Amino acid sequence: MSELKYIGKTIPRPDSGDKAAGKALYIHDLSRPGMLYGKIKFSEHAHAKILNIDISQAQKLPGVMAVVTAYNTPEMRIGFLRDNFILKKDKVRQFRDEVAAVAAISEEIAEEAINLIKVEYEPLPGIFTPEEACKENAILIHENDPQGKPLKSNKVPVLFQHSSGDIEAGKKAAKHIVSGEFSTQWIQQSCMGTAGAIAEFDMNNNLTIWTKTQVPFLAQRDFLGFLPVLGLKEKNVRVIVPTLGGAFGTGLDTHAYEYICILLAYKTGKPVKIVYDRNEEFACLSPRQSSQTKITQGCDENGKLTFREIEVTQDNGAYTSWGATFPSVMLLPATSLYRVPNIKFHANIYYTNNTYCQAMRGYGNPEVNWALETNMDELAELVGMDPYDFRMINCNKSNETTPMGLKVTTCALDKCMESVANKLDWKHSRKQQSKFRGVGMASLFHVGGGGRIYKSDGTGMFLKLDDFGNVYVSHGGVEMGQGLHSVLKLGVAEALGVKPEKVFINQVDTNTCPWDVGTHASRGSFMAGNVTIRTANELRSKIFEHAKTLFPSLAEKNLKSFCKKNPSYEAPKFDIKEASQKGNFDLIDGYLFIKDAPKEPWLQVELGTLLRAIHFREQGTMLSAQAFYDPPNELPDWDKGYGNMSAAYAVGAQGAEVEVDIETGEIKILRMVAVHDVGKVLNPQTLKGQMYGALAQGLGYTLYEQILTKNGKILNPDFRDYKIPTFKEMDFPIDLEFVETNDVAGPWGAKGVGESGLCPTAPAIANAIYNAVGIRVRDLPITPDKVLAALEEKRKQNKK
Amino acid sequence: MKKFEYYKPKSLTEVWELKEKIPNSRFIAGGTDVMVKIKSGLLIPEALISLREVPELKNISVGKNIRIGAGSTITELIENAELQTAIPVLVQAARRIGSLQIRNVATVGGNLGNCSPCADTAPALLVLEARAVVRSDKNTREMPLQDFFTGPGTSCLSAKEILVELIIDIPSPQTKAISMKKGRVQMDLALASVAVLMETDGNFCKKIRVAAGSVAPVPLRLIEVEKFLENTEITEEKIKEAQRIAMESVSPISDVRTTADYRRHLVGVYVKNSIQSLMNGGRHEKRN
Amino acid sequence: MEGDMKREISFIVNSQQMKLEVEGHLRLIDLIRDQLGLTGTKEGCGEGECGACTVIVDGKSVNACLYPALEIEGKTLITIEGLLEEDNKPSFIQKAFIDNGAVQCGFCSPGMIMSTKALLDKNNDPSDEDIRTALLGNLCRCTGYVQIVDSVKAAAKEVRRKS
Repeated sequence: MSELKYIGKTIPRPDSGDKAAGKALYIHDLSRPGMLYGKIKFSEHAHAKILNIDISQAQKLPGVMAVVTAYNTPEMRIGFLRDNFILKKDKVRQFRDEVAAVAAISEEIAEEAINLIKVEYEPLPGIFTPEEACKENAILIHENDPQGKPLKSNKVPVLFQHSSGDIEAGKKAAKHIVSGEFSTQWIQQSCMGTAGAIAEFDMNNNLTIWTKTQVPFLAQRDFLGFLPVLGLKEKNVRVIVPTLGGAFGTGLDTHAYEYICILLAYKTGKPVKIVYDRNEEFACLSPRQSSQTKITQGCDENGKLTFREIEVTQDNGAYTSWGATFPSVMLLPATSLYRVPNIKFHANIYYTNNTYCQAMRGYGNPEVNWALETNMDELAELVGMDPYDFRMINCNKSNETTPMGLKVTTCALDKCMESVANKLDWKHSRKQQSKFRGVGMASLFHVGGGGRIYKSDGTGMFLKLDDFGNVYVSHGGVEMGQGLHSVLKLGVAEALGVKPEKVFINQVDTNTCPWDVGTHASRGSFMAGNVTIRTANELRSKIFEHAKTLFPSLAEKNLKSFCKKNPSYEAPKFDIKEASQKGNFDLIDGYLFIKDAPKEPWLQVELGTLLRAIHFREQGTMLSAQAFYDPPNELPDWDKGYGNMSAAYAVGAQGAEVEVDIETGEIKILRMVAVHDVGKVLNPQTLKGQMYGALAQGLGYTLYEQILTKNGKILNPDFRDYKIPTFKEMDFPIDLEFVETNDVAGPWGAKGVGESGLCPTAPAIANAIYNAVGIRVRDLPITPDKVLAALEEKRKQNKK
Repeated sequence: MKKFEYYKPKSLTEVWELKEKIPNSRFIAGGTDVMVKIKSGLLIPEALISLREVPELKNISVGKNIRIGAGSTITELIENAELQTAIPVLVQAARRIGSLQIRNVATVGGNLGNCSPCADTAPALLVLEARAVVRSDKNTREMPLQDFFTGPGTSCLSAKEILVELIIDIPSPQTKAISMKKGRVQMDLALASVAVLMETDGNFCKKIRVAAGSVAPVPLRLIEVEKFLENTEITEEKIKEAQRIAMESVSPISDVRTTADYRRHLVGVYVKNSIQSLMNGGRHEKRN
Repeated sequence: MEGDMKREISFIVNSQQMKLEVEGHLRLIDLIRDQLGLTGTKEGCGEGECGACTVIVDGKSVNACLYPALEIEGKTLITIEGLLEEDNKPSFIQKAFIDNGAVQCGFCSPGMIMSTKALLDKNNDPSDEDIRTALLGNLCRCTGYVQIVDSVKAAAKEVRRKS
């Protein structure tokens, strides 16, 4: 492969300049002429009948243009199970249920109107744990399914399971068996830029909505389902994505507030903006799914895993969103992290009156990884083996198919683990050179080549050339801070053969961009890169086709000018016409030349010159190209938990060195190391940024973050009491290393890695804590009081 | 949010005139507590009277004694060279307040006047035996700082009274003191905080003052610990016992931040570590 | 002393003298974003916890969401827009952020950059500890802070080089 010009280099991201100057426009900064402000009234109960909603006072308030409830608007069900309603009727099922909304000429008036709305409730008993939910005679949170059929239990009809090999045989073959129960908490994605949307109808009743979404086309589809409910037939929806202040999974579903925004825009005939403030973001936007995992693993006397059994229970909350499908991704580590011949996986999920949950980075992988990688250490201890050696014995290899049917192409997990061990001076550090210090490690296995969870995992691209050699990129992938625009800009420059400065990325707009399923599953760069290469090649073919006839005259013009400036110059003998006819061109940095021609400057034709020659003539034309890329992966059979859902897989390992303060229970991170098989580094700087950021989120998940609730009410809906890592929590050295395995499916060999960085962080730290002081906390987060309790428990045990 | 008027009096006299005119108005200094309360709807003021530009509140001086105007910002306190020399423990505690942005506007008076049991400056001020000077248009009162706090969120101030300054006797040259605070992360309200001030002669403790925050309805002196250690020879056993006494002297609650047990445990650990640190000649926190 | 619901105040913003009629209940961030139309300063929490609204008043970094608007009277305010140099050039601090990968989603960036400016105006050779202390009140969810610290160090180097 010829050397790459831009891919693999640290080149500043194209969007940084505007963002650093405060010029980038987020949803918070946008406004439309005549715009109204929307505000939502949320439920004051976790579970209650709605007896009455009195909106009369609110309607009378000057400046209020519309007040909506489920009682004066048509019903609209949302969510992939259609069990949620944009405005609640008859009963509320969680504290944040939307019972009314207002559009007014100012935010203050909207807020005042909300306070004037009086809702009468009849409280009902609430259910706040899956255990309560599945008790016999437990009150039903949903009495009927979306079709109106009565429901008999609070079990959510979403099934994920897997069974491969022979579990009983595996158990029999095991010499050592360890079981454990683990849990992960709700955490909040905590994007610095909160959620919001602006909806506006034109006079043809076509809708435009600017919204904080990662799935513009699925959102378009969702909103298209709403228009007929409003009585609008055959109207269109245009979704435009503004600059996002982070996303991390919050934009993978469409939310009630978006539909309410649309509803208010329709009712008033004016643009309506709804933006969540931080309290609403915490209390009324779905957090990351929580989980409970039971795991049992066994191995033979040589440390080879013989079976793995995992059962997951999830608290769905009141309605169903993507949190309920976390098990689809849990299947990855469950079936494919390390080689295990006999596997059983089952996930149950129950409605409760807690807040319903949605996606967040990692999407179930960190949850199961937490249990699995801790259990690996426990099993290693039972065998009397070093945890690193134990992992190496069971390490995945490249070019293997896992029990889930995942076709692993490249896999440098062994190299990653080896490097982590080296960086931590593993054998030496494990022996605890200093008291209360320890090291631990954990690995990960995740999708790296898209993730087919819909019928299509595809993405399109449209490239347009103008008269000046500029190329305009229309692509549906969403830049949310991860650096997608960098990949697009550099990828197009690389694949097409122009300078990055000539590449312009159009705003994501469903009117103009080709379809993309969504920026999730770490698929952004993988998809963008692959479709870029295909589209660029298409465009190059077109350019070269025209160059066959036009290149000679343009080159000759160049020669004339050149000779004028260099009278003594003698041009080498070369039949340009004949060479051009063969079409053996190349385009690099915006200059076209014949591949085997002499390297004379006049034999380079600037792209813009060629493009103008193509355009400005009789029967002239403009050049553009498009492609649609749908990767070679499969939609799994979820009943079986089987199918090659990605075209490539990301693997890696993390290690941590910690020091435990046994007086205060505080965990001090001394250093972290992370080694990831990324296929190919597309941009070292942005890749590092992604890894550092993911690690910080992993750290928060492990030690600091937790949404606390009491009877369904969130107790800490603000940054004062929901603590994410600050500069000072992240002040330890982080050693990052990227292994390049050049995956055949990846653009320039690259795999997707947006989520990998936080998958193994919790067990890496927990395993280090165990090495340091011999205790385990199995419920995240590992807070100081839990550490002290565990140390106290250990002291008592030692005394016996 | 209901609109309200905002006044910027230029003297204490003006302050009281305004308060007389608008009895339901509220005082605001740095705003880092009041503005948060207004945003959350906990406070719906009829009017705000700003104390920011009242010169009588801004003085910091070290002379016969130390006087810190209640309107001094936390940054002004921290950057004052005289205070750094005379009462480093207060500077140390003040450094842990919030963030730089907060410290640049928050005031000493506000940090105390909010009467949160978590007030970061309170334990240090208590061990320094600071006195609070409180004034109304009619009256001036001076009291030990401990008497200023009457309960969580409540002070002894009557409607027109303002905390105007703190007076601290200059500690003897043998005085050493330390403060410790723990949050969930580095920028946080205190889960527990402790300050200890000692004067020793070898291992003999001539004087000891111990105070704690976030572990009782108000910041408080741990008198029992002081009684136990003052005028005695300090030994490791005594420090251990002091730790136990400290834990029994406080009445923490469990809340969203942490459990009562953990707060209680932390107070004990910090009292122990503070005393040990001072006995070993250190002035700096071990780690937190 | 009369108190009006709206009062005319004079102050300097981004080196420009400004006269504005301001209502008493407004916060500085409302004045900046809504009245002055300077949307570079972001509201991330409205409670002084995240620092996205950091601006510089009389040389000190403050949270605009906690700063009563009328208090800006007679003072000097700098927002992120004030860092832009002639001919649409980013300041050296912004350039350091851009070059060192400190900007991902960018929502925290204006606040981070203002805190950085306030720091470097006082201390042109800040230690790692100095940087983390000065920027502690600025939260970021994307970067893990590492490349932000790198950027501040790079900007500090530039300050030293220029002086």
